Amino acid sequence: MAARLAARLGGMLVVVWGAATLAFLVLRLVPGDPVDIMLGVEGQASPEAKDAIRADLGLDRPAFEQYLGYLGRVLRGDLGRSYQLRLPVTEVIGQQLAATLELVAASVLFTLVLVAIGAVVFGGRRSRPVVGALELIAISSPPFWIGLVLLAVFGFGLNLFPVAGADGVTAVVLPAATIALPVAGLLGQVLAAGMADARAQPFALTALARGVSAERLVLRHTLRHAALPAVTLTGYIVGSLLGGAVIVESVFGRPGIGRVTLAAITHRDLPVVMGVIILTSVVFVIVNLAVDISYRLIDPRLALSAEAIRGVR
Amino acid sequence: MRLIPSPRRVLATLALVAGTALLVSGCASPQSGAGASTPQAGGTITFAVDVDPVGHLDVHSSQLDINAILQRPVFDSLVSQNADGSIVPWLAKSWSISADGLSYTFDLRTDVKFTDGAPFNAAAVKANFEHIVAPDTQSAQASSMLGGDFYAGTTVVDDHTVRVDFTQPFAPFLHNAAAVQLGFYSPLVLAASADKLKAGGPGISVGTGPFILSSYTPGSELVYTKNPDYNWAPDGAAHQGAAIIDTLDVKILPESAVRTGALTSGQVDIIGDTSPASLAQLGAGYTIISTQSPGVPYSLFLNVKRPVFANLGERLALAEGFDLDAAVKGVFQGRYQRAWSILSPGTPNSYDASLEGSRPFNSGDARALLDAQGWTGRDSEGYRTKDGKRLSARWISYTPVAEDNASLAALIQDGMKKIGFEVKHDVLEPGAYLDAYLAGDYDLTDWGYLSADADILRSHLGTKGFQNASHVSDATVDANLAAAVATTDPAKRAELYRALQQYNADAIATLPLYVPEYSLAAGPGIGGVTVDINGWPQFSAAYTSR
Repeated sequence: MAARLAARLGGMLVVVWGAATLAFLVLRLVPGDPVDIMLGVEGQASPEAKDAIRADLGLDRPAFEQYLGYLGRVLRGDLGRSYQLRLPVTEVIGQQLAATLELVAASVLFTLVLVAIGAVVFGGRRSRPVVGALELIAISSPPFWIGLVLLAVFGFGLNLFPVAGADGVTAVVLPAATIALPVAGLLGQVLAAGMADARAQPFALTALARGVSAERLVLRHTLRHAALPAVTLTGYIVGSLLGGAVIVESVFGRPGIGRVTLAAITHRDLPVVMGVIILTSVVFVIVNLAVDISYRLIDPRLALSAEAIRGVR
Repeated sequence: MRLIPSPRRVLATLALVAGTALLVSGCASPQSGAGASTPQAGGTITFAVDVDPVGHLDVHSSQLDINAILQRPVFDSLVSQNADGSIVPWLAKSWSISADGLSYTFDLRTDVKFTDGAPFNAAAVKANFEHIVAPDTQSAQASSMLGGDFYAGTTVVDDHTVRVDFTQPFAPFLHNAAAVQLGFYSPLVLAASADKLKAGGPGISVGTGPFILSSYTPGSELVYTKNPDYNWAPDGAAHQGAAIIDTLDVKILPESAVRTGALTSGQVDIIGDTSPASLAQLGAGYTIISTQSPGVPYSLFLNVKRPVFANLGERLALAEGFDLDAAVKGVFQGRYQRAWSILSPGTPNSYDASLEGSRPFNSGDARALLDAQGWTGRDSEGYRTKDGKRLSARWISYTPVAEDNASLAALIQDGMKKIGFEVKHDVLEPGAYLDAYLAGDYDLTDWGYLSADADILRSHLGTKGFQNASHVSDATVDANLAAAVATTDPAKRAELYRALQQYNADAIATLPLYVPEYSLAAGPGIGGVTVDINGWPQFSAAYTSR
């Protein structure tokens, strides 16, 4: 067990290292000199001044040396300083992390509630196709548009929620709903299809013949069968929300990692981009682990088959 | 100061749908009446803007317009510039200029305090000007406003008298001294936290102004509280003493449709950087203040070092070849004026109105000019050719391009295509843009540049100008620019700038397109908001009766 855990942790580290290395390489391949971009078209620094800035940032050293130096600092927990903001990267990300986590948590909560209503409550009913159509509309609507419509109706029209900012619980409702609607549509479709498949299986007929109620059949049996792909998708979505909520953040004027990342990429603020990539890869790795663990809880056969494979070996 | 276009990550269709959604919501939330207009003390005014200057809050090094707008409540200047361009006393009671034009001596007010308690005096002026020119500050704009290479130093004459010296006469100095870029940080901040000025925030962005920055959430909100001790408003300002409102709350709402909706629903009081399309959506009861931006209007810069624009013929063909009047009228719904000169009408003591109407749309003439240059062949797409080469110009733009400017570009491309001249528009992200720009690998590029002094032409038309995107190099132009910066005689300066505008109108190094405006819209019950020469809001006298 300890060996398996160690192997798993090692694998996770390799993923994070790989992400950081790939990001480092890619950021050096794209055109654009960080110092030129920092100064802009209006910047009138002399070549000497530019060289001084370059030396100050360590950009004058060979790429491989920069890479090794960077890895060394990351291992010591130092993500460097932002070129643009002149603040430690940990502080730049830290300032925005709370708002992002709040948004992700609320979005996941909303998603689960919507999916529970759409797929579980309506699953198998005659009205399910109507819910399915609504889900398709939610999936195919651009988040930007959903955000504006929600704002127009609940923010501007009914004045129920503040337009902008991140203070208080009410400020997170509309942004989280904007993210949750299409995600819930997608998960609902996946889950409903899985449950329909499961219901067609002989075991479902057996259970019903045993006198199991329709509700119990859903909760104990078909939901479990359908849950695996939905859980995988949820894990992926949670991971990508971390840096990927930029549209929602800008519609609602919310602080967050997404906008920080966008600005950092356009300004070639390499330390911040690298910091976000490392953070995202760590979150993905952790979410992936959680998804794997939940697989075994949802479907005990997986654990059994793993034991069986080891037994053969 | 680049006129930053507001970011629009939206497809046109989406904007249309969103606009409809907002119209629907507008019906659901009536905001009635013109609002009571009795000023009452206290309260909060909420001001929504499109972007915040995250990481660029240092007034001495930032080049962002939005930073100048958002820091003005906090930072005062030696003098103040009225909307008509005239200069009045502010933190300096009076000043004198030496006969040779090399020294400016300022007699400072004695009752001014920074909001952290430090006194404002000659030493504070010296510390700030030294901070601007210090290499670590990496200042481009503020340091050039302080004279750049012409700046010799600042001397404390006595506690409240300070002298600024130049190596050669530098006429724009008084105009520049009124700008927030030459505003004053508390010397305590400069001594203790100079490395944090770019990040900014409460306790860092500390000046003598009518407001104190009390909280800053990057990307989201800036909150200012009034400075109760403030008693040093510019001479002749309508409102003297402390601000009327208690709190100014600035919200960052990047999407134009969201700002408009927030205003019409009463969730914010004032919106800034408002496009003509949004203004058209506002009904009665809203106060709209639009100001033509001084400086260089939004223009196309023709790179005269490249073959396609090396000769006057092709440059003239571009100037006459498409219907700019109709394009500007259509794109900006008749709200913006078409530009005729490389200087905006609002630039103090310099604009040459005689250029208006001087080169009207004339596609026949443009065609003849191109024929005369030998572009007589035609390729399969209908473009002109010479020796088998297509007549084509590469236009590079810095992303994001404002929606209105993108529409204008499309109309220009379309008009030029009709006379067989291909204009390829490459919208590049900053890294790629700067690579192309610095290498001179473009035929056209575009921007407008705000400046309250015509000396801005020195960087745009001077051989060594750092914004000389046209790569103009002309001895007479350089001599006129040098003479204009060195004379303090207004009539003489105006004469020289007229000659420079005439030069550009003849040589078409720059093709001015339209005169941008800064527009504010205030909701019912909001009053007292004034604007400076740039059209930027001043909140000292603002009040809310909501």
